[in-house]
Parts: sequence; structure tokens; C-alpha cells
Amino acid sequence: MSNENLREEILQFGDNARLLGILTLPSLPLQQTPKLPVFVFLSCGVLHRVGPLRLYVRLARTLATWGFSSLRVDLSGRGDSSGRPELRNEQTLLADYKEIVSILEARLGQSQFVLSGLCSGADNALVLAQSDQRVIGLLLMDPTFNPDDGFRLRKFLRRLRNPARYLDPMNYVLWRKLKAALLIEPPLMIGDPPTRERSRAAFQAICERKGRALTVFTSSASKQGYTKLGQLARTMSLPGYEQFCGERFFSTAGHTFDLEHHRRRLLDEVQQWAADFHNRD
Amino acid sequence: MESFFFGPDKQQLFGSYHPPLSGDGQVLTVICSPLFSESARTHRALRKLAISIAETGRHVLRFDYRGTGDSFGDLEDYSVSDWVEDVSSAVQEGRKISDCSDVQILAVRAGALLACISLGAASDIQRLVLWDPVDDGAAYIQAIRRAQAENLRSEFRSMSRSERTDGARDIGGWRVSEGMLEEFRALDSSAYLRIPKDKLHVVSTASKGGFLPGGVATEVLPYPCNWEHVRENVINPQPVLERLFECLTKT
Repeated sequence: MSNENLREEILQFGDNARLLGILTLPSLPLQQTPKLPVFVFLSCGVLHRVGPLRLYVRLARTLATWGFSSLRVDLSGRGDSSGRPELRNEQTLLADYKEIVSILEARLGQSQFVLSGLCSGADNALVLAQSDQRVIGLLLMDPTFNPDDGFRLRKFLRRLRNPARYLDPMNYVLWRKLKAALLIEPPLMIGDPPTRERSRAAFQAICERKGRALTVFTSSASKQGYTKLGQLARTMSLPGYEQFCGERFFSTAGHTFDLEHHRRRLLDEVQQWAADFHNRD
Repeated sequence: MESFFFGPDKQQLFGSYHPPLSGDGQVLTVICSPLFSESARTHRALRKLAISIAETGRHVLRFDYRGTGDSFGDLEDYSVSDWVEDVSSAVQEGRKISDCSDVQILAVRAGALLACISLGAASDIQRLVLWDPVDDGAAYIQAIRRAQAENLRSEFRSMSRSERTDGARDIGGWRVSEGMLEEFRALDSSAYLRIPKDKLHVVSTASKGGFLPGGVATEVLPYPCNWEHVRENVINPQPVLERLFECLTKT
């Protein structure tokens, strides 16, 4: 498929052509975009490679207009890719990643990547980033947020100071409030979410590689304790973090960027952020 | 499975062809998926069904309408008539790739309206199996809007008024053109009258307000699919898929 801005090719690759992905290429000749990394969109949850409300398709095609190639891929057992029943979650992810990198290097001769994804896709990107030197960027949408150690206690004390909120019939049901005060509701997980240490190591690796990371949180992250812009940076507390890693908080957006104006805002943010790769040494 | 793009430049559709796993396959099944978020929610189920049908020695083609899935374009640039055209293109492409003259259709929800409008006059379609067909375009859009409004009320309480107003323009989160909405409003159950009744087979779940056309082979299965829900939960009801499989593989 092609138009004036981009071309798309279907790749069926890996062992027994197990994996299926769509490679989006800018119409510009490769010589004009030699240094730009390739975005890899990792499928999220049980949804297939187009992403919720076609989010990955829109991102891939928008990035192509800026000269970036990308692959949106169904990980094993999702969408049109066959499963690897013999392997566990992380083993499957690593096996898939090996095949993804291999096809991109063979097809594009490219060896720098930006791992991208929403929810479990973002978590998987964090899991993969640390150990692969070729990963120089992360585009994370609502990854698992691990609040700092004192968070639960502070949240509980804050709620104790304002008991009226629990008794307000116009507010949530009492038991839900109490549960929320004592627990951080676990998000729906497809895969193994990274621990705080693992996320930290991934961001550290990006900083050391002088790469770029952009993390976008939505209102849904509040269930995990993310309620204020800058919280991730504080939790990571890495030297040089803010120089390489951006953070955005779409406090009114749903987890899957359910509304068109949120998706458009996201596309704008990603486009501005990705432009920095053009200036990278 | 072989995936490919087909159709004219700038209107290319994404197709997935499942060749028969045994024999030379005399029957092609084209799957017309549902629309909007229902499409992603049924992707897994329809893929599984396609694989099962191909294992019985039949050809299967799945495809994405223009502006949806991996196909070309943005949703808001297209209309219902484009999608009706896409059904014909998919059948034509399926015939070409499979070399089959016998074609049957599985159409889901509003995909059933598109399939019946598109193929009404075609005498060479052997059978149309419809899963929870939509009978009224206006009511269908209204139901999605209702679910969207409920979602905005419950999940997006901190939104500003302007965000809320803008969000209310979306159909289940999708931005569509006014032209498409108008075309939807004009769709009704008369689309099903275009097809000879003996070619239609309706598999209806116990969904609220399900459409049961008179004089057509119809079965109601007690496994409700929550179609009217804008969230991305997956629809994958095993007993319904088994019944659809039986309908599509009986000789």
C-alpha cells in the first residue's frame, strides 16, 4: 500500500512465519533518513496490532510523514500471530523481539530502535530496553506505574484527614472508597509488568545511550497512584533523567485515548518529541 | 494465512486469506466484520473461526473496510457506500485468489447490512450467514452514542465542557463524517429483503433488541454478546462460534 507520504508492507516473519507485522516506510528515500531509528509498536493486551481505536496505525502513519519507519506487530498469540504455548510470558517476548530485530535489520539494514506501546505494550518495551544497546528510545503510553514506598501510607493518611468524602452519598460507594484507601487496585495485566527497579534500569539505559523517552499517562494511571505530572521523574530519581525523558499527563483522557481529540493531542505530542531524533548526534 | 493489500491505489484494503488446509477447496467464505470498536473486539473470534473453516478444506478471506484496521485511509474520509463497495471488492478478490465459484458470506452486526446491500442483486452468492445483524442504522448509531454518553458521564468526569462537547461528536470514540451518519440513518431492514430468504441464515444471541427477520432460518442462542459497550472488551463466545462454524461448513 502506498500514498504520497508513505508505503506499507506486510511482513510475515520469524520461525514458521509465526509473526505478522505491518512495516510503514516514509516515501522519502532511505538515504535521506539514514540515522533515524525505527519505531516498533508492541501490541497491547489482547488487541491486535492496529491498537485501540487504530491508535498504532495513526501513530505509524503520522511518524512516516516525519521520515520515521515503523513496525506494528502482533506479538505471539495476539492478533494474527501464532502462539508459543511452550514458552512463558517473558520467554515469549524475548523470542519475539529477537525475530522482530532480525527482520528489521534484514529488511532495512537498521540497527536502532524506539520501542513503543500502550499498557502491556509499554511494559514490554521497558522489559526489553535495558538489555539491548540498539534501543535508543521509548514511547510509553500508560505503562505500569510503581509509586514510591511511602505512597500507600501517605494516601491512607490523606484520606483519613478527610473522612467526609467517604460519607458523601453523591460520591463513590463507601466500600469502594475504603478499598481504594487501603489498596492500589491492580491493573489488568497481560504479561509480566516491570518492577520499579526494572523500569528504572530501562530509563537509565536510555539516558546512558543519550536516547529519548516519552511517557504519557492518562487518568487511568491514577488507579496505580499516578496523579500528578512529574511523579515518574521523582520516582525514578535518575541523574540526567529530565534531559532525556519527557513526561506528559493527559489527566482527562481514558486509558485507550478513547476520544478523537485526545488521540490528536497525543499525535501532536509524539510528533514534537520525535523531531528531536532528527537532531540527535 | 497470507495477508496482502488489494484494490485500487489509495483505496487499498487489507486482506487475510486462509487457504484450505486440505483438498482443493470448492467454497470461499468471505467474512464481513462488524464496524467501529466491534471490529477489534471480534478480531480474535473471527480469525479463530476462519482458521477452523480453512481446516475443513475451504477458502476464507477476511478484510478491513477502508479507513479501518490496516486498510488505507482515515475513517472520517469514507462513507457507507464506500464500505458497500469494499464488500464487492473483497468477494471479487476472494474469487480471484481462490478460483472458487461458490461463495458464502459471514457478516456480523452492521457488516450484515453492508453485505446485503452490496450483494443483494448477485445471484452467485450461495448463502449469507448473519451474526446478530443490525436492522436499523439510526438505532445502531444511537445505541453507540448512548453508550458513549454513559462512558463520558462515568469515566471522564474531570473533563472540561469543551472536551465533553468535542467528545460527544465521536461515535464510540470514532470521528466520522456527517455524510456517513446520514447514510447510516437511511439504513434499515429493507436491506435484507434484497436477498432471497432461502439464502439467509441468522444466528442471533440473546442480545437486547436482536433483529429476527420473518421467514428466514433463524436460531437464537442464549449467549448474550454485549455489543453495546464502547470499551475494548473482547467478544469471543465459544458456543456462538461453534454454531457459526456448523452453519458455514455444512454441505
